[in-house]
Amino acid sequence: MLNKNHTRVLVLVCLVLPVILIVFSLFVGRYDLTISDILSILLEKEKWLADPDRAIEYSLVYDIRLPRALLAFIVGGALAVSGGALQGMFRNPLVDSGMLGVSSGAGFGACLGIIFFHQSFMIYALAFCFGILAVLLSYMTGKIYDSAPTVTLVLGGVVISAIFSALISFMKFVADPMEKLPTITFWLMGSLSRANFQDMTIAMIPVTIGIAGIMLIRWRVNVLSLGEREANTMGVNTGLCRAIIIVCTSFATAGAVCVSGTIGWVGLIIPHIVRMIVGNDNRILLPVCLSVGGCFLLIVDLIARSIVSTEIPLGVLTALIGGPFFIVILKRTKGGGSW
Amino acid sequence: MAVLQVENLNFSYHEKKILNGVNFAVEQGEIFCIFGPNGCGKTTMLDCILGLNKPDRGHVFVDGEDALALSAARKAQKIAYVSQKSDRTFPYTVLEIVLMGRTAYSGIFSSPGREDLEIAGNALNSVGMYKFKDRVFTKLSGGEAQLIKIARAIAQNARLIIFDEPTSHLDFRHELNVIKYIARIIEEKGVSVVMATHFPNHAYLFESYGIPTRVALMENGVFGAVGVPSAVLNQENMAKIFKVLTKNFRDTNGDRVLNYVVPVDFCAGGEW
Repeated sequence: MLNKNHTRVLVLVCLVLPVILIVFSLFVGRYDLTISDILSILLEKEKWLADPDRAIEYSLVYDIRLPRALLAFIVGGALAVSGGALQGMFRNPLVDSGMLGVSSGAGFGACLGIIFFHQSFMIYALAFCFGILAVLLSYMTGKIYDSAPTVTLVLGGVVISAIFSALISFMKFVADPMEKLPTITFWLMGSLSRANFQDMTIAMIPVTIGIAGIMLIRWRVNVLSLGEREANTMGVNTGLCRAIIIVCTSFATAGAVCVSGTIGWVGLIIPHIVRMIVGNDNRILLPVCLSVGGCFLLIVDLIARSIVSTEIPLGVLTALIGGPFFIVILKRTKGGGSW
Repeated sequence: MAVLQVENLNFSYHEKKILNGVNFAVEQGEIFCIFGPNGCGKTTMLDCILGLNKPDRGHVFVDGEDALALSAARKAQKIAYVSQKSDRTFPYTVLEIVLMGRTAYSGIFSSPGREDLEIAGNALNSVGMYKFKDRVFTKLSGGEAQLIKIARAIAQNARLIIFDEPTSHLDFRHELNVIKYIARIIEEKGVSVVMATHFPNHAYLFESYGIPTRVALMENGVFGAVGVPSAVLNQENMAKIFKVLTKNFRDTNGDRVLNYVVPVDFCAGGEW
């Protein structure tokens, strides 16, 4: 457990770091903006709006860079928090935010949207709905044989994920290879390049509901992670708590991936990095995951859009950057509070 | 009124009858030891009391309230549980583990507060483990871990604590330590204890500390004999249930009268 001073520093870092990174990200891009330009765009909105010659700069900040930075933070935070909560609930450090099939379900929904509608709202809507549907199916599969609920739930998740992955492959197989297939492929590798304020608002609603729910129930995640028997005898209504955690993590994850596409690894690795730094108490772990996960994806997205002239898919970079990052932290903390 | 009242408990698992009408009551400040061979239904019965198993028939009353109808939180405020061995989990600190005993006193969407932290600290103190509060629970020895779980049960502030073979894999010294602390919390806090055990001498040990002690011999889902240790753990009963020939001994240590029972040989026809 952290002492009081450590906790204060930690809270400060977790609050300030995202703000710094979001402001910093406004400067990053091919079109150069000076510090004074950006400050004045942020602080003197009306002046810029009134001047049609400077509409590009204004739009660059408000329509492109700012929503993208905010979206990156929200998506990263949602994935990390969901992953952390599910690891606790399943008592399994290998679980990530897509454990119950959200990611593959959402991927299949997005494929349907791309092939049949090619309209961004329908892609979001279908991705979100199929993400939730996949979790529902995993949950029902897990309920068939309920002697050890968490084990069968994990199995249910694996089976449903496999089915939806196969369906995704089938959709790729039948998709028009010139037009639709590249779109599907890029969606599945994850990107925030289409981000705008409308996307962000759509993502915000389910993600906020989900994260808020997880934050409220995070003490129960601690107790659940001791196992069904012990949690029950300590006064936890295990069935109800599990259901709440599943609903909340599904909302948060589905809300995030439906706009960002599949982004793996964040929901697995960020909770472990945070465990090594602050320990396993979910009261601290999960809020810190929100900040660290958000910052991590923000940084990854900055690299993705600035390192080479074309954008590198996020799903590629999260592992390439997250892997070494994990090893460095592991070496420095010697595993710390982790397994 | 008895703290725990179990009436005609029946339970079957996959058509197999495990409990066959168990009746008993436990008074305040009393320890009730359940002793019997492996597979006789001890753990199943404890699980019925804890609400982890739903009995086919029968009633469990705690403080006069129907335990089977209580919510998980209400039940946990009345009954605490110390398992034989904890499942593998994340490496929480000792204080975090004890604090989890306060869960039943916070709402589903809230966490234990400052007061709960103080109660957890006091509970650790009462088993002499406060200095372990920042250690990692999963790295403790078996004996230390059992004491932490006893502290958690104390923090849970229940009138009844259920132990399922709490010393079954501890060394000689730690076994005594756990027994002593169980005796002490019964004496100091007036809790009642139900304890499943494989060691008949535990009952005698509690008796020698001056704790009101009763033993139930359990066989095939029913109690064969119930009463004070010397009335139950006799040659005749041990031969009947375990097919083992035993000798009872008696000694004193200062004021304490120590009884103990020792296995000598298999009874005729009771060999492997």
